[in-house]
Amino acid sequence: MTLHHVLLLALALFCIGLYGVLFRRHLIGILIGAELMLNAASLNFMAFNYWVVEDPAVGQIVVLFIIGLAAAEAAVALSVVLSIFRKLESADVRHLDELRG
Amino acid sequence: MNPVETAAIVLHPTAYAFAGVCLVGAVLAVALRNVLHSILTLAATLMGIAALFLYLGSPFVAAMEVVIYVGGISVAMIFAIMFAYTLGVRRAPVRVNLLAAVPAVAFFGLMAGVFRATVFGPVPAGRDWSMEAVGRALLTHYNLVFETLSVILLLAIVGAIGIARRDPNS
Repeated sequence: MTLHHVLLLALALFCIGLYGVLFRRHLIGILIGAELMLNAASLNFMAFNYWVVEDPAVGQIVVLFIIGLAAAEAAVALSVVLSIFRKLESADVRHLDELRG
Repeated sequence: MNPVETAAIVLHPTAYAFAGVCLVGAVLAVALRNVLHSILTLAATLMGIAALFLYLGSPFVAAMEVVIYVGGISVAMIFAIMFAYTLGVRRAPVRVNLLAAVPAVAFFGLMAGVFRATVFGPVPAGRDWSMEAVGRALLTHYNLVFETLSVILLLAIVGAIGIARRDPNS
């Protein structure tokens, strides 16, 4: 594979994740789209790390940082989803129309 | 010299196969109505991405992707689904909306045009692909990244427990 192929793959995954974030109604479905976008960015970093960058340790450190941040973000997002579901009995974003609560 | 680099020609068909797994898994993950199925296809996509990381020369990042993303985040999402599962009516397995795909396709077209017009430099020679270089960089030059990530993870743990905790008075 060449650099352009991997970049196009990462771009396609990012756009699919973007579609998921915009379109899904379930809260965890939106989180799945966000995780896809983060992974697409990681793939982009690794592609440049392989073909362009002089010190390949840097790209790997950036990707490790992204993976760690995604783990932290998923933990907080899932606990928010749980507390929303406990209050509303639904994980549908159309039911989230109040600021109180 | 990276051993994966020298085997690049042999690995071409499998790399494209894993890229196909990633794309198919991603499309299914955003199109399936049932969120549990969506998480499982997302886990398959992430395994494909881990294989691509292995192809791109970093077994350590591939292992971390499998352990943290597939083994940690996907499993945590499945736990959350099991708590938040609504037994709904029977519905069609796949649902897509073409109007919502317009911004995604537009962004794809824009960036693909940018990639086509960009010429990237030549591949540098004599690079240090060892795991020791990553560890050394994480502990000396990129120490702030390492420590910041530790603090972020601690804050996320405390915050997640604090948000999801039941009110002891109610």
